[in-house]
Amino acid sequence: MPSWFALLIFPGFLYAVPMGWLMLWLERKILARLQSRIGPPFYQPFFDFIKLMTKEPLRRASGEDIFYLLLPLLALGATVGSLTLLPILPSSASAVGDLVLFVALVEVAPICLVLLGFLSRSIFGQVGAIREATLTIATNLPFITALIALAYASGSLRLMEIASNAPLATRAIALLALLFCLPIKLRLNPFSVANAEQEIYQGALTELDGWRLGLWELTHAVEWVALSGLIASLAVPWRSGQAILDAILFALLSLVLVVVLTVIAGATARLKLLQASRFYWRWGFGLALLALVVSLFL
Amino acid sequence: MSYTIPIGPYHPALEEPYKLELECEGENVREAHLQIGFNFRAIELIAQSRNIIQNIALFERVCGICSNVHTLTYCLALENLLGIEPSLRAQYIRVIVAELERLHSHILWAGAAAHILGFQTLFMTCFRLREVVMDLLETISGNRVNYAMNAIGGVNRDLTDPQTIRDGVRQIQKAVEGQLLPIFTNDPTVRARCAGVGILTKANAIAWGAVGPTARASGVAQDIRQAQPYLVYDRFEFSVPVQESGDVLARILVRALEMVESCQIIEQALEQMPSGQWKGQLFVELPPGEAVARIEAPRGEVFYYIASDGSEKPLRVKVRTPSFVNMPTVRLMLKGATLADAPLIQASIDPCYSCTDR
Repeated sequence: MPSWFALLIFPGFLYAVPMGWLMLWLERKILARLQSRIGPPFYQPFFDFIKLMTKEPLRRASGEDIFYLLLPLLALGATVGSLTLLPILPSSASAVGDLVLFVALVEVAPICLVLLGFLSRSIFGQVGAIREATLTIATNLPFITALIALAYASGSLRLMEIASNAPLATRAIALLALLFCLPIKLRLNPFSVANAEQEIYQGALTELDGWRLGLWELTHAVEWVALSGLIASLAVPWRSGQAILDAILFALLSLVLVVVLTVIAGATARLKLLQASRFYWRWGFGLALLALVVSLFL
Repeated sequence: MSYTIPIGPYHPALEEPYKLELECEGENVREAHLQIGFNFRAIELIAQSRNIIQNIALFERVCGICSNVHTLTYCLALENLLGIEPSLRAQYIRVIVAELERLHSHILWAGAAAHILGFQTLFMTCFRLREVVMDLLETISGNRVNYAMNAIGGVNRDLTDPQTIRDGVRQIQKAVEGQLLPIFTNDPTVRARCAGVGILTKANAIAWGAVGPTARASGVAQDIRQAQPYLVYDRFEFSVPVQESGDVLARILVRALEMVESCQIIEQALEQMPSGQWKGQLFVELPPGEAVARIEAPRGEVFYYIASDGSEKPLRVKVRTPSFVNMPTVRLMLKGATLADAPLIQASIDPCYSCTDR
């Protein structure tokens, strides 16, 4: 499969953007149903995007606009890039060390968010950026440890080989640890600390408007696809060999993850920064460490 | 890194405009400053230029949540001055509306607290329950917010459908005991946010003159309904929930348990309510003199003072609201708290700024 196909069509832009919108919609719809509300129609995230992109934003100092354009674009590009590395199809391009590249690319978006927060010079943006940075550190420890455990257990840094070779015990524990990290990376309850509306409005995004916010929302949608996709693609070693079937299996598994994450988010209150960090250092890291120990001895 | 974070006057965590400035050291609050007065409407001054009957409608508008409390206290003060007592049926109707309003206020507050905790599902649960109370109040008075029930020496409408009220109240009690209490006390994330947060010690609660649920959550057992019963409160059996820990969780518990007590008071009132005259007086001659009245509002003690020179307009009407005395305690609770706790702590006293500012 040529790399342009992966980047532009599947699992790149043509798949990731509508899928991201579908996931955003599913999140809102499930939350609404949990709360006895009706919820939006499925095309709502698309309309939101169009609306944001066509709004006339506030004028900012001339030097700032370029950053507001480049940071979300960088985040979007990196996240789509990380998506292309996922071992979804048997023919997916797989290079030595693509696991390392995936981790690097998937971390670009949080860094851009922190920069955007400080760039906005709003106190709420800055507090949001500090929280995002703190949580990124707290959550990356279990995230990377779990991936190391998977890599060690399957004896490879290739995502494709991890997906097919990792032994069941390590895989199950490590994937659970990775699942633990998702609510914080997607800024969902109970870890929606960096965008805690009742405390600091939208955190780092407080000052973003119009297309600046629209671009970021698009990035966020693709983040959903990439992060749920990581778990979905590593969860099942079996591949049918037929591209369409594998793609559908991958999409369905990703959507199941959205349901799981949303139900947890709907049933919890927001924790505090310290509590969230402690949770990840203790339980997230503990679980990831367990996966590592299991991979060493089994 | 130290910085000052403004919360308000307009902020997602505030129901009404006021301002809290937090001096933060990282995530920790070092000092908090309160500013009130954004909702000032000069109601006490306007009251001096209207006659006493018109003022009932005016004081209804002091607050959007406890509107009945203000007209009730105002009418009680006037009745003290006039030396009249409303009929028994009117007093029972007043109790029922007052307790329904307490239910409404506490459910609304529980929803607001859930919202600040970021627990949207619980927020929606509370607000769905709130609809039941509002429907009951609408059944009685025809209105959902300003009930316009109180008149001098009586009430404006009879209570004609006690069974609907009884059914509704039972539904509320079931939901409070079956849903709200278990979620607020057992959910690990709610506990993590509320237990041990924003502590007001008993000594501080007394020293700063805290009233209502805020004081009762700090172990100060005071409730005017029992300490100095007004209307027919001495005819009901009910307990006053008191918690000792003084944190946000205690304030949640006190209010939740009070809701259950209110349901029981309403049931007893419906049971005991005699038939008979309920109407108030349309025309009264106010004698010169002074009078006061105080009642237990959902947030604590509400106090009215009326001075009259014998004309149809009062010389002075002074309103003292519970939020006004509870608000300074927020500063004590906030010291050493984290930024994330601040919105919850300020909300935990159930502050009402439109009452306070008037």
